[in-house]
Amino acid sequence: MTQLIWNGLFVGSFYALVALGYSMVYGIIKLLNFAHGDLYMLGAFAGFAILGAVGGVSSSMALPVLLAVLVVTMAVTGLAGVALERIAYRPLRRAPRLSLLITAVGASFALEYGMRAAAGADPRVYPLRLGGTSLEVAGARLTLAQLVLVGVAVVLMIGLNLLVTRTREGRAMRAIALDPTTSSLMGIDVNAVISRTFFIGSALAGAAGVMAGAYYGKIDFLMGFLIGLKAFTAAVIGGIGNIPGTMLGGLVLGLLESFGTFWLGGEWRDVFAFGVLILFLTVRPTGLLGERVTERV
Amino acid sequence: MRATPLTSIASLAAVALLATGCGQGLLGGGDGGDTAKTNEPIVLGMLIPQSGSEAAIGPYMSNAAQLAVDEINAKGGVLGRKLELKTADDACDAQSAAAGANKLVTEGVDVSVGGYCSGATLPTLPIFGKANIPMIIPAANSQELVDQKLKHVFLINGTGTQQAAAAEKWMTKQGAKSVALMHDNTSYSKDIALRTQTLLDAPGGPDTALIEAVTPKESDYSANITNVLAKKPDFVYWTGYFQEGGLIARQLRQAGYKGSIMVGDGSVSPKLVEIAGPEAAEGVYATMTQTPDTLEGAEGWIEAYKKKFGTEPGPYSNQAYDAVRLAAEAVGKAGGTDGAKVIAALEAIDGFQMFSGPLKFTPEHTLSNGGFQILIVKDGKITLQDSLK
Repeated sequence: MTQLIWNGLFVGSFYALVALGYSMVYGIIKLLNFAHGDLYMLGAFAGFAILGAVGGVSSSMALPVLLAVLVVTMAVTGLAGVALERIAYRPLRRAPRLSLLITAVGASFALEYGMRAAAGADPRVYPLRLGGTSLEVAGARLTLAQLVLVGVAVVLMIGLNLLVTRTREGRAMRAIALDPTTSSLMGIDVNAVISRTFFIGSALAGAAGVMAGAYYGKIDFLMGFLIGLKAFTAAVIGGIGNIPGTMLGGLVLGLLESFGTFWLGGEWRDVFAFGVLILFLTVRPTGLLGERVTERV
Repeated sequence: MRATPLTSIASLAAVALLATGCGQGLLGGGDGGDTAKTNEPIVLGMLIPQSGSEAAIGPYMSNAAQLAVDEINAKGGVLGRKLELKTADDACDAQSAAAGANKLVTEGVDVSVGGYCSGATLPTLPIFGKANIPMIIPAANSQELVDQKLKHVFLINGTGTQQAAAAEKWMTKQGAKSVALMHDNTSYSKDIALRTQTLLDAPGGPDTALIEAVTPKESDYSANITNVLAKKPDFVYWTGYFQEGGLIARQLRQAGYKGSIMVGDGSVSPKLVEIAGPEAAEGVYATMTQTPDTLEGAEGWIEAYKKKFGTEPGPYSNQAYDAVRLAAEAVGKAGGTDGAKVIAALEAIDGFQMFSGPLKFTPEHTLSNGGFQILIVKDGKITLQDSLK
């Protein structure tokens, strides 16, 4: 039982990290950024390239090196996210919602197959991997590396929440989410804030990409597709546009998958997890901690 | 449709080829009848995944096929005619495969030598069949392909039934008691798992602990592995592809599993070892048809391949190479590219030397000897463990 919970929480923290970017972008400009999962892929490849450039690293230095790579990668994917917004989304911000959605799908394919052209179709394997010994805690087997990764994810999420709720920047984001026109009348530089939102969301996805590369080892150009879908689901379960809700949604989806596999077997896992999603949408369309609708009106 | 720049270049090139082909046809028309055809190349068509999830496999197969074409052409071709290879992308996906097959048919392919993903190969059977084009399928080997009982379809890879038999034989030989079967829910992988289960169900020998299906293309299989380990198996058999296979082997070991791990032929690749990491991959068994590595006298072939393409041959390079050689042999024996005659020539072949041994087709058009053997990862290299003779 504890093993199932731990498995779910571990996978769920990846979902949550990726889902946050989805949720933030949706919260602010009501765009479902389908290319978000591919920024996760981009992060994994950026980390791979940086590690390759650094060269051989002794295993005792693995963790500090990976953390440094994580920071650099977050900057790289963050900038990529900003560029994506500038090139693909900003010119269409006043266009019908459908055009934006289609552009997002196009951007996703462009990133996937652009990476395939650049790095090849063969999966790559991280030169530096977090393996480590496993320990038993309350009947669950977990490794130090897993604890570190969950720790990093939690720190990033807490940092994000502080940024959004406690800083000027965060207040500007929330203001734009409520009403972009009025915000700009109040002297908020809407474009700059949206760019920064993309930067933060993409940086988090990039961080998740590096962490996945370092822990699982295998990366390939299509790795972002499925997790993008899962992250979207997590965001909807938790309440898209709501940051604590999205984090919760990621963890809940991870747990649903873990228990779904246990109760019904592997082939029914997705049926179970997505069945719950449908249930959520019918019973509670705003998600677990859905945004307060009254504020919108 | 995911149109990539690459495929659009390829289709442009194809159009160009088609245009020149027509030109020759018109000019040749004046000479009348068959004589014109004798100058035209014999066109071999190859459907392989060049995009999508299995895109990594495509070059292994098309390179090897091109190698065979070049070798045969260097020796003067077949019946005085040159061979020409045309490839199309099936993206490991039924719809793209059907489109690709139609494209090859319009390009005037004489023999099909492609087919990797069983699910994508299945819908192409009637398309080539209607055009009276014989198919030599190098890799796809789901029993579903055989069950269609089509006259123009020949499989030169061992079938799922033969692979399951080899797997069961090795599990028994290893004294396994309780076997966990893991597959990825694709036609090919599930087929082998279910056939292995049927064999294990027979009295005596090992028993099936459970069948676990995973979702391909994910990174975390811990939930599936927790399920598997709850049944305490002493043998795990993964029948899917290497990307997941590497992760599953690694995650099984991380979860403290100490028993044997075996993978199916779709997982036999150096990448498996790389993804699993050398420690987790060590001692992993595999059911596999003959590969260049496990066959004596193939060193020269590997050298030639490396020299030409700058990379090592990979999974199904040898089968693709053999498919082209077999097609050339059959066309030569048939005295032309007439579909019915080539099919008859293929059926009559006896003892043609391939990597998998001397070839003779069964009445079902499969290999009479599947040639499955057991490989093992030793010091990070995949080597022969037992030829199950």
